[in-house]
Amino acid sequence: MDKKEILIKINEIFKNILDNKALTIYENTIASDVEDWDSLNHIQIIVAIEKTFKIRFTTNEIHHFKNVGELLVAIESKLA
Amino acid sequence: MLFNSIEFLFFFPIVTVLFFILPHRLRWQLLLGASCFFYMFFKPEYILILAATIIVDYFAGILIDEAPTEKLKKKYLLISLVANIGVLAVFKYFNFINNNVTGLAYVFGFHNPIPSLNMLLPIGLSFHTFQAMSYTLEISRGNYKAEKHFGIYALYVMFYPQLVAGPIERPQNIIYQFYEEKKFDYDRVMSGLRLMLWGFLKKIVIADNLTTYTDGVFNNLHKQTSIAILISIFFFAFQIFCDFSAYTDIARGAARVMGYELIKNFNYPFRSRSVTEFWRRWHMSLTSWFNDYLFTPLVIKNRRSISFGIIFALMITFSLSGLWHGAAWTYVSFGVMHGFATSYEFITKKWRSRLSKKINPFIYNHISQLLTFLFACFTWIFFRANTMDDAFYILSRIPEIFNEINHWSITRSKPIFDESMSNLGHIYCFMFIIVLEGLHYLDNHYQIFHLVLKQNKFIRWTVYYSMMLIIIFFASATSHRFIYFQF
Repeated sequence: MDKKEILIKINEIFKNILDNKALTIYENTIASDVEDWDSLNHIQIIVAIEKTFKIRFTTNEIHHFKNVGELLVAIESKLA
Repeated sequence: MLFNSIEFLFFFPIVTVLFFILPHRLRWQLLLGASCFFYMFFKPEYILILAATIIVDYFAGILIDEAPTEKLKKKYLLISLVANIGVLAVFKYFNFINNNVTGLAYVFGFHNPIPSLNMLLPIGLSFHTFQAMSYTLEISRGNYKAEKHFGIYALYVMFYPQLVAGPIERPQNIIYQFYEEKKFDYDRVMSGLRLMLWGFLKKIVIADNLTTYTDGVFNNLHKQTSIAILISIFFFAFQIFCDFSAYTDIARGAARVMGYELIKNFNYPFRSRSVTEFWRRWHMSLTSWFNDYLFTPLVIKNRRSISFGIIFALMITFSLSGLWHGAAWTYVSFGVMHGFATSYEFITKKWRSRLSKKINPFIYNHISQLLTFLFACFTWIFFRANTMDDAFYILSRIPEIFNEINHWSITRSKPIFDESMSNLGHIYCFMFIIVLEGLHYLDNHYQIFHLVLKQNKFIRWTVYYSMMLIIIFFASATSHRFIYFQF
């Protein structure tokens, strides 16, 4: 799975969790760019990503994601 | 030392003037010394507690930073957390724990031989221990490097504006500021003084006058009419807001005069349209502390079943947050109720979102705001009540107001508590609240505070002098301690 496909899947997760069908996220999107992306939704997004890609992040990783791009890189490396 | 005291009126200008006279390299010593003096004004021996935790955390921070393995980092972090929570447990919660052990033992037919400790709670204990823990926690997460300068670290914990009642700072936000050379800047100094002036007005005029009323009612419940009790419940909401936000304003203002920016603690909390939003606007530094160090880790740990994990984390976090406020079941109840409310909001989030789209937004938003405010007032009954019995007694009296309104002539003739406040005083209390909320509303829609700043010197200073006159003229006859002083 390449980055583009992962990003599309993540976008769907964001749309679902944040209940916003019109949402589009990019690699450089950060939490403050997106309405309602608070810490609570963040963890729900992480959980949904873990379930979708059948991977698991460490607590450290979850705390340190700065933007969607870093999330993508982490997912890619775990899928490899 | 209290902000609203004669001593502070001397302390603040002296320290500030000395701050600007001394060269930068000596300023941390001045601030540290002044903060020690500020703290010791209350009960000098307690500085030893502060010194002990500062020493432990200073070394723990360095050890965590330099530890080669995660395991060792966690070990040193644990020492810091145990030291701070231990101090809290002994000096704040010992009797609460012991009394409950006694009660539990009694149920099983045992006798608890441990006696109660008779000691005064060190001021600011809940604040500086939490601020110290955020230091070691941030280092253990790799977000901050340990401060090697002992004096600067000690100043981080003891900085007098926020030592006693917050805001609860983070090392990333404040420590670097102590290294910056602060120059005298007229506009910045005026901004700080304005903030302090507004804080003093909220405290001395609004909060303290409301306190005279609510104290009279809450401390003499059985003698009150139900209407008086109901009014005091609403008065208390504004009292606690004015009291606590005033403290924060004075703290931030005093710090700003010297050039230091402390984080905000309030963001118009009564505008909240949900309890979840309320905690993002009320005591924000405590909310983010609990969110970062308790709630989020708990949720992450329990994320396998995410809904259960979130509700579990909400209940634990809010219960402990309630307990943070005081060693009594009334405070825990306060926390638990907010746990239930936020859990409810989490479970019903999508449903409420859909409901909001079906109803006229003006109506929906205002009803949400009203319900949130009423809920907060309800939980503050428990927060303020002296005992759980009192809290339930208050609840039982509320339905009676209809009867009292029905027999208004009889109700009118009953005295309100010990008559230490005249009828005019009651009217003033209502007036203060109306004016306060009016100003907030105007500021929200027309930015009136900003507008005042744009005016010429004459108008600005007329406003400042008017505020000072209002403080002098309407100052409460009884000076009351800041509520959050006791935490």
